[in-house]
Amino acid sequence: MKKTAKNTSRARATARDAARPSARRSAPAASTARRAAPAPVRIARIAKGKKPQYFSDPAIDKLLWMTLTLMEELSVTRDRLDAVENLLEGRRVLKIADVDGYRPAAAAGRRRQAQRAAYVDRMMRAAQAELEEITGRDMPLSEAEVVAAVEA
Amino acid sequence: MQAFKQHDMLPESSHDEQARQDFVMAFRGHLSGALMPGAYRVYHQRVEPAFRAARGRAPADQEEVRQVMTQDPYYQFWSAMQRRSQEMLWESVIEPTERQLPELIGRSRKLSKKTLAKGRKGTLRLDPALVVPKYHTAADIHLQPGGYHTDFTADDVAAGVVYDKGINIYMGGALGPENNLTGDTLLAYFREKHPQSRPARILDMGCAIGNCAVPWGRAFPDAELHAIDVGAPVLRYAHARAQALGVPIHFSQQNAEATDFEAGSFDLVVSHIMLHETSKSALVRILKECHRLLRPGALMLHLEIPRGKTVIEKFMHNWESYNNNETFCRYMTNIDLKSEAVKGGFDPAKTRMDEFVPKLDVAQMNYTESFFWNILAAHR
Repeated sequence: MKKTAKNTSRARATARDAARPSARRSAPAASTARRAAPAPVRIARIAKGKKPQYFSDPAIDKLLWMTLTLMEELSVTRDRLDAVENLLEGRRVLKIADVDGYRPAAAAGRRRQAQRAAYVDRMMRAAQAELEEITGRDMPLSEAEVVAAVEA
Repeated sequence: MQAFKQHDMLPESSHDEQARQDFVMAFRGHLSGALMPGAYRVYHQRVEPAFRAARGRAPADQEEVRQVMTQDPYYQFWSAMQRRSQEMLWESVIEPTERQLPELIGRSRKLSKKTLAKGRKGTLRLDPALVVPKYHTAADIHLQPGGYHTDFTADDVAAGVVYDKGINIYMGGALGPENNLTGDTLLAYFREKHPQSRPARILDMGCAIGNCAVPWGRAFPDAELHAIDVGAPVLRYAHARAQALGVPIHFSQQNAEATDFEAGSFDLVVSHIMLHETSKSALVRILKECHRLLRPGALMLHLEIPRGKTVIEKFMHNWESYNNNETFCRYMTNIDLKSEAVKGGFDPAKTRMDEFVPKLDVAQMNYTESFFWNILAAHR
């Protein structure tokens, strides 16, 4: 019992040390040995302070956050694709104009079309799910109905 | 615009890390150049007329503007995106910094020992007992995670690295190749007003990474240049950075409200956009300390950001207060810096406020359509 309490306080002290590593240097030698391979330092990602709510529903704030982060990553991906195209052109593997002028042959075109349709379907399932809830056959109208069906 | 200079204390960015920083800069440029001016238009065409219709008068102050503007969907959207862009800015520079942190700390240790031209050398004096003021610890200023003062590891320089790269993106590159614009601005003012003056001992208060001190050091290479801040990691970085740039500066961890320098020992005391990051009580104490440090006849200069003239300008400027953890800046709107300096012991006849206009692009301005600096100048 006493040992557990001691361990807990050590765990707390370790957490504090991680946040305030200057204290780590004055830690006893035994704990230094235990940390033979120290974890890489992690810099905080969230600033201290109250985050304002911008929209009537906090979910909108979070969705905008995610949208802008996706926008950033799409920009990064386009830059990367551009880098790949330029490198390939530099090594005479292809010309960037070839990519611009590329029209898929019949089979490749069909494969691309199917991939695109599947992608659109996955994205739009958010709306489709609601529609099926309303119009689907034998759709339970509540969680209680599901439980009742299982119990029966 | 000159490209940002890659000195020895900056981390390398991988292709994708650089692409993220480039995106944030482009995104913020668009928010400032294309969307922010829309907030002013929306106010004049929609928000203010609706207020007049309901109340029979225009909003009397920025608080009344705030009540109606924060309900406007255009403003809400711009404001939420501006906030997110600030968070993304730090994220985009934290990643490469974190990845290379051990190497950067190693480089800072080596640079610290380097002897500069003419056998001169910068120094660093840290004070582990210094209490970091609450205006730093209550909320992370500018949303930089950990602020200026948090050590994430021993001999940490991360806050400085992140700040150096971050502020360059913040100003869309307009701060110059060594983030030197604010230092250069105050220096230009000083040279215009005091062309014959050659200060022998200079103090820069709230120096952070020393980006404003470096231009003063370059301008007056024979002067003894001191720079203080409360944040240990920014000072370690500032010292290594100044050494890398070859400018001897004496950094010490001190609170500008009460330093250990001798009374009457400086010819010039300067600060660059520091006062609005402090507090009501600290402000007078800092000015009092400046008065103590100056020799008779010596000069104090504080560069500050104006807080707007109309109610909508004041409201837009104070976006920073409510959304970017610049908690004190909204109180600065109604503070007369000249009378604060007088409270600090300066003679009203020798104290003045000046407006100084640098050449800047509107697309680099975050919350305002026109820009000038405020300068508090006083002789002891």
